[in-house]
Amino acid sequence: MITEEVLQTPNSYLTFQLNNERFAIHVSKLLNIIELIPVTQVPKSPDFIKGVINLRGSILAVIELKMKLNLEASNYTKESCIVVLQVLVEGEPTDVGVIVDSVHDVIEIDEKEIQPPLNVGVKFKSEFVKGVFKFKDRFIMILDIDKIFSDKLLELY
Amino acid sequence: MDNFQKKFIEEATDLINNLEEALLSLERNKADNELIAAVFRIMHSLKGGGGMFGFDDISSFTHNLETIYDEVRSGRLKVTADLLGITFSSVDHLRSLLDPNALKNDQINKNHSILLGKINAFLKQDNTVELVDSADNTEQESDGTNHTFYIYFAPDEAIMDNGTNPLYLIDELCSFGNSLVFPKTGKIPELSEFNYSKCYTAWDLFLITPEDINNIQDVFIFVEEESELEITKIADFDILSNKKIIDNIHERYNEKQNFDSTVLKSLIDEQVEKKDSQTVTVSEKLKVFTKENVISSIRVSSEKIDELMNLVSELVTAQASLSLFVEENNEFKLNHLSENIENITRQLRDTTFSVSLIPIETMLTRFHRLIRDLSSEFDKNIEFVTEGAETELDKTLIQGLTDPLMHIIRNSVDHGIEPEEERIKKGKSKQGKIHLSAFYSGASVIIKIQDDGRGIDIEKVRVKALEKKLILPDKKYTDKEMLDIIFLPGFSTAKNVTDVSGRGVGMDVVKRKIDEIRGIVELESKENAGTSIVIKLPLTLSIIDGLLVEISNTKYVMPLNFVNKIYSYEHEQFDKAFNNIIVVDGKQIPFYYLRKEFEITGEPLSVEYLILVKYEDKRIGLVVDNVLGEYQAVLKPLGKLYKSHEIISGATILGDGTIALVLDTNKIIHEFSFKS
Repeated sequence: MITEEVLQTPNSYLTFQLNNERFAIHVSKLLNIIELIPVTQVPKSPDFIKGVINLRGSILAVIELKMKLNLEASNYTKESCIVVLQVLVEGEPTDVGVIVDSVHDVIEIDEKEIQPPLNVGVKFKSEFVKGVFKFKDRFIMILDIDKIFSDKLLELY
Repeated sequence: MDNFQKKFIEEATDLINNLEEALLSLERNKADNELIAAVFRIMHSLKGGGGMFGFDDISSFTHNLETIYDEVRSGRLKVTADLLGITFSSVDHLRSLLDPNALKNDQINKNHSILLGKINAFLKQDNTVELVDSADNTEQESDGTNHTFYIYFAPDEAIMDNGTNPLYLIDELCSFGNSLVFPKTGKIPELSEFNYSKCYTAWDLFLITPEDINNIQDVFIFVEEESELEITKIADFDILSNKKIIDNIHERYNEKQNFDSTVLKSLIDEQVEKKDSQTVTVSEKLKVFTKENVISSIRVSSEKIDELMNLVSELVTAQASLSLFVEENNEFKLNHLSENIENITRQLRDTTFSVSLIPIETMLTRFHRLIRDLSSEFDKNIEFVTEGAETELDKTLIQGLTDPLMHIIRNSVDHGIEPEEERIKKGKSKQGKIHLSAFYSGASVIIKIQDDGRGIDIEKVRVKALEKKLILPDKKYTDKEMLDIIFLPGFSTAKNVTDVSGRGVGMDVVKRKIDEIRGIVELESKENAGTSIVIKLPLTLSIIDGLLVEISNTKYVMPLNFVNKIYSYEHEQFDKAFNNIIVVDGKQIPFYYLRKEFEITGEPLSVEYLILVKYEDKRIGLVVDNVLGEYQAVLKPLGKLYKSHEIISGATILGDGTIALVLDTNKIIHEFSFKS
């Protein structure tokens, strides 16, 4: 349950899983978490855009986040879900959904504990990682979600 | 205070406001008979309503005022500043009388008597009428002899919803004199379907009264719009005194025969030799009472409408799942409920959608006027032709479009269309033409303004642009690029600054305004043939009639206005087709097999459908799996991520909550033909 209180806390992050990796997104970007409902595919669009869904009467584009991060694709499970985020596309706030394997807790991280991203030994596009922190003996990577949707990178496709 | 009185107060407030407005106009134009009649009418309605709902102070007070204006109306009194002064104070006083306890207030009471005194004095001084004591004011208009009226009153079923008890109306009628009342109970349903809040009864009533027919009509003043009402004077005497007639009437009633004024009249005529009787159709007569200048529309922020639209879409979705559930659990009662909700939801959806759309027609009147005025000012002969005025657009788009279109039309009149002599010299028709057309193209609305004027002189543009340092002197520009310069700020080729255009704020303002509503504006011009400006608007919130089709479980909508014909073919025939050409009705038609073009995997069906669509002046086939039917689609944008996606112009949410993609057939054909 995401309460107002959590959203007000400046250092709260939603953590989620993609394959074996854990990621985090700052809660200020987070709008909603919904179950993975069937996605309508839009022909002739980039592979990483899975399609569109009807989110309470609006059309929401859904992104295959793994593909965008160059992670290996895998089947959806019962725990797969769509995280609805508000990101900046060309400087304009835009709602998008990203598919993740499962969502975990919202945790609070002290700014000081966040370290710069590692560039070696990672299997995915590290340019989208803002920082890394250690939580319960695991490394969790904070995604720079706006960068993922920045104009220049979208044009590559 | 009961509902009754509340309703009267609402209506009376409107009436008093209207009265004030009419008086203000009358002050400016004291001899206007129509205004005098309007003032009188409003007073009359106010009097009638006041009496009926127990606001006797208002009724009697207004009666005296009305008497004055009756004199004015018949020309025996003149509208003077004095009279208006008293009337205005009376209007203010009437407002305070709306509080039923007003006269208990000393100040108001004092005011009341002062005003009454003044009004009386006014009447006496002119010595035209005798002021009648307000208590028996109803007698004043009658001539004392009894007439018989036949009244048929069938109130609307919902009449009791607004607090009106029809029996009170009947009671009031009966108080006018002797009466004979027959209830008509034929419409009362079975007990199981009986709704106690509805009125199923109608009445036949014979009223013997010295009253004027107008007074009888006044009883129904607040209900006549929603009731069937017929008031006919059937005899100039008291029919109750004629036993034969009465027996006959009873007989007819017992036999459940309908009364009918003509039958009744002939009946009476049979009994007594009678002269002609007079009929007044109430609906006609009472139209005059309809309030003028009532607020017929309100402004609502588009955000609220968007919110409403979203909620309705959600409701539609929820309703669709309910229907599905009902289908699975076959239960009679639930079924019934669900169908009911479905109906209401559909109506709600349609209404909500229509709320935000208005036809462009609404702004055309003003353009007609503009062109008429400008033509005479510039001494040009211009015909303004419009096409597709029924094209509906989101009202915010219409608002944003009016200014730029004004500019464009002004430019056409000022710069485009030549003076008559020049046109004749060029061998053109004397009359210039400005043609405005609007139509849907895919998921856009195109508005095209075309004139047959002199067109744009590109050389002139070049010179001017150089002068204004808008272009580089040594660079080559295409004609198209030169035309685009016209949209730059600070560019204007008009020799003189006129009222109409030429302040250097012409086309750049047009472009900016159209950008604001996310439209695209393009300009084409041919020297001496004319200029056409095409505005393409996205449909963020627009409805298109579409054909719902399916390819591999995904649904698509094709704009119906591009669809020509639908044919079904065996899959093989598409497979065998050479060079994507198929013979349709003896003609060779190029086609695109969308399953392949969209790179959709999976087995094709054995029978597929070829949809013949219009593309420019050609017919081209698009092949889909299945045609599901017509669908009215509310277009929603796909969002920023699909910004460069041209072949799909948007999406729409179907009744069951799933998404159908809206295809831009023009773009599809353009893209695929370009590719090959």
